[in-house]
Amino acid sequence: MKSPPQRTLRIVVVNTAPGGGAGEEAQARRNTALRIGLLESGYDIVASLPADIFLPERIAQIQPDMIIIDSESDARDVLEHIVIATRDEPRPIVLFTDDQTASSMDAAIAAGVSAYIVAGLQAERVKPVLDVAMVRFRREQKLLDELSDTRRQLADRKLIERAKGVLMAKNRLSEEEAYQKLRSMAMNKKLKLAELAQRVLDVEDLL
Amino acid sequence: MTGAFITGSDQPEKTVIKIGFMPLTDCASLVMASVLGLDEKYGIKLALSREHSWSGMRDRLLRGELDAAHVLYGLLYGVEMGIGCSATPMALLMNLSRNGQALTLSNSLARQGATDLAGLAGLVRKGTRRFTFAHTFPTGNHAMFLSYWLAAGGIDPLRDAQLVTVPPSQMAANLAAGHMDGFCAGEPWSARAVADGGGFMVASSQDIWPDHPGKALGARADFVDANPHACRALVAAVLEAGRWIDESDEHRFAAAEVLASPAWVGADLGAIAARLQGQYEDGMGKRWQDPDPLRFHADGDANFPYLSDGMWFLTQHRRWGLLRAAPDYLAVASRVNRVGLYREAALLAGVAAPSGLLRSSVLIDGKVWNGLDPEAYAASFPIHKLTPAKT
Repeated sequence: MKSPPQRTLRIVVVNTAPGGGAGEEAQARRNTALRIGLLESGYDIVASLPADIFLPERIAQIQPDMIIIDSESDARDVLEHIVIATRDEPRPIVLFTDDQTASSMDAAIAAGVSAYIVAGLQAERVKPVLDVAMVRFRREQKLLDELSDTRRQLADRKLIERAKGVLMAKNRLSEEEAYQKLRSMAMNKKLKLAELAQRVLDVEDLL
Repeated sequence: MTGAFITGSDQPEKTVIKIGFMPLTDCASLVMASVLGLDEKYGIKLALSREHSWSGMRDRLLRGELDAAHVLYGLLYGVEMGIGCSATPMALLMNLSRNGQALTLSNSLARQGATDLAGLAGLVRKGTRRFTFAHTFPTGNHAMFLSYWLAAGGIDPLRDAQLVTVPPSQMAANLAAGHMDGFCAGEPWSARAVADGGGFMVASSQDIWPDHPGKALGARADFVDANPHACRALVAAVLEAGRWIDESDEHRFAAAEVLASPAWVGADLGAIAARLQGQYEDGMGKRWQDPDPLRFHADGDANFPYLSDGMWFLTQHRRWGLLRAAPDYLAVASRVNRVGLYREAALLAGVAAPSGLLRSSVLIDGKVWNGLDPEAYAASFPIHKLTPAKT
């Protein structure tokens, strides 16, 4: 089965609120370093949003795959709102900090949170961090794909069962005989078993 | 009395305790415990860390960068139950303060006739637009009080309005700029909004629930289990600090002077001192001395970790669909609220503690919350977003 095409991650970067003071300056520097790093690594920064009251609305409109915000930003709580509102379809929220003693990403992943704390923000360090975030993001996507595959398989099985039932009734066949008939016809017509089953049911509906 | 126990088996397991706090007036008892040297009296040293956001503080607490924190009561329970984060066993050592939060609406709303809850409800019913109200954290006290108050007026906070999260220090500016219609937050930011001329105080938090719990002193459960003596010393020190603040207006003013410094809250002394001393002005010409202002001790009653307080937050999380299944309310509160450790600390500090674990209150809508039958209570509100309990 062909895997779905990998599309570029759509990233939103949240900018620190302007206000001056040492804390905000440091945040602004980190943000610049972050954006340079992202662009150099070839990521698609869909939007660079201010950390204001309209942030959740804008993020809802943009529907990014990943949100990046400074861990020292007071806008973290604004994002918290989004985390809870979208907890059924989580997206990676990546946190950046200068804190060199920050805990490892492994601990964060093990804790099951979609937020990572990373030490340092030099441009060359950005790619490895996002690579891990992307791995996790893709792992989640894979699980979701597997889920939809499982659902489709279940639906296919139901089709085949119903088609078997039709053949058994119409042609007075046993279950095994009906199944073999479906299988051989599918092979001859080069169809998937489920597709053939659907055709049998369609004809049955017509007549 | 105090020096005697800090030897031998009662010695604190660690002497330096890292405590996170948010720049709000109600961090006062933690700050004064350090400033007055009450921590050293009990053989510990408080290393206070000013945090930028509730979620940042939560993360640092969970990672062990902080040992304990001045935290929203509701947030602590939200972490215990894994709402918006990984469920982590937490411990509530004591309640830090009661009352003293506020609900502020924009002056533009007042001009349209919304000068009280009934007026606001009338305006919302007209349906000309959706109103936006801010709180400080989705699982926190202000979100729950705001939602409770709106619903008490017949306004569905999730359908008839839009709730947003805004950092407390940005509330006044956003209100004045017309980005939102009102907010529920602590001090001094609510007083600031009135002083700036952007809004008026439509209700105090004590109007919604007289003597409600406020910020809590929270920690990870494993930290408390590993450091019971240090935690006991911590609670005793903060109890004494709270008692000192509540003793007189002079002490309250002194605390306000300390808090005004940028190291702590970093706000105008007047904005901090007035409401701390119970002096309210609502921005609509009304001034009064409130009988139930922000209190840090109230002879110990403000600090006792009542199980019914914890359970109330669970019921409201359940009510609004933040908890999708009914928790074992009593079991959760019993394990989170460390009543035993609190009683020992109260004994040390010479503070009286009630014998019961539950207390009864009547809230603004006339409903009684007494800690009994919490799931029924959660399901008893006409306005809610409850997912029914699975059979």
